[in-house]
Amino acid sequence: MAVSFQQIEEKLKTEARRLLESGQVSLVLAWGRGFDEKHPMPYVAKGASDVDGIVFNEFCTHNLARYLVRYPRGTKMAVAVKAADSRAVVQLIQEDKVKRHDLVILGIPVYGIKNPKTGEIIDGKTTCGLYNPVLYDILIAEEVHGQPVSSPYAVLAEYEAMDQDARFAFWKKELDRCIRCYACRKACPMCYCDPCFIDQNKPKWGEKSPETPGNLMYHLTRFHHLAGRCIDCGECSRACPVDIPLYLFHKKVAKECEEMFGQAAGMSIEDKPVLVNFRMEDSDKILE
Amino acid sequence: MSFEPKILGIACNWCTYTGADLAGTTRLQYPQNLRVVRVMCSSRINPSFIFRAFQLGADGVLVGGCHPGDCHYNTGNLYARRRLAVTKKILEFAGLEPGRFRVEWISASEGNKFAEVVTEFTGQIKALGPQTKFKIS
Repeated sequence: MAVSFQQIEEKLKTEARRLLESGQVSLVLAWGRGFDEKHPMPYVAKGASDVDGIVFNEFCTHNLARYLVRYPRGTKMAVAVKAADSRAVVQLIQEDKVKRHDLVILGIPVYGIKNPKTGEIIDGKTTCGLYNPVLYDILIAEEVHGQPVSSPYAVLAEYEAMDQDARFAFWKKELDRCIRCYACRKACPMCYCDPCFIDQNKPKWGEKSPETPGNLMYHLTRFHHLAGRCIDCGECSRACPVDIPLYLFHKKVAKECEEMFGQAAGMSIEDKPVLVNFRMEDSDKILE
Repeated sequence: MSFEPKILGIACNWCTYTGADLAGTTRLQYPQNLRVVRVMCSSRINPSFIFRAFQLGADGVLVGGCHPGDCHYNTGNLYARRRLAVTKKILEFAGLEPGRFRVEWISASEGNKFAEVVTEFTGQIKALGPQTKFKIS
């Protein structure tokens, strides 16, 4: 079944107009036109007259859950989400950053979203590989079935097989390119700390210059902060101007958390994030 | 000159630190490479402490806490166990030798175990050699 982006856009506009006109929500988070067709931008419709600016095409990669935490608590919002983005919304609800009853979730089951930089279809290689949202109020299109489902962790095998020195050399090469623009942090729906640990001066957790030690400190700590919370949308790697494959590390940490604690991030609003939870039966083996 | 590693020990006030005290008062011999920092609970340990220690030149990091279920604050070390397990996996995937970071549960009465663990861990770090990957040169 082919996904019709045009149909989704029309349905999205209809629903957004209905929600805004009825006063059920005060804003709708969706995608709007960027400087050209290939580069849509996150877009906020605050009234029925803004709704015409909404677009949806195969380059709408942005995770709009990012913008939920920017509005004051209690703001009634509608948010358009793809599969991975809906997991981010679930995770934010788990962490009590947004309330379920403040949200209207417009779920978009979609296949064939492309990375605007490379033109490649985004699949389980760089993201969680789901097609259907896990949580939604209104489904914008029919659920996607019959598409290839690849394991989100299959891509890791190559790196896990490397020996330590090779893996360190790989990460050093990748992270040395980091220019510390913090685009990964800005794109990430889970990175909402204010101030971020790396911006603190007292205590100073790491160097702020774009050199190996500071880069390592920033990225490793960020991977740790996102442990058990990263929902594998891959936005950090797409936002990165120097194309560091951050998703690999996030996938690895997510995989380990899933294996150790038996729970994937953002799958149910009943769950608790794994690192603020414990079980007496946790085995000491996880520390070996 | 033989290589003398610098090892950071982070010890929980109620169990491991008291255990270390016991090892001292019973005059047990163990290598002097461990520098102990006392924290009130193993869950006080921010994983960034460990990354930072490796950056600032530690060759190994040993974290000590109460046995699970024995925590002075009831549940602290149960959170720490999950958190430090993730830290270990991250260090491993970043390419650091897995032997350089270790978590041990040592209670206040286990002075012997403390001395044994420190001796064994120091030997292990000596075999691994100086830590150069994370260290800021």
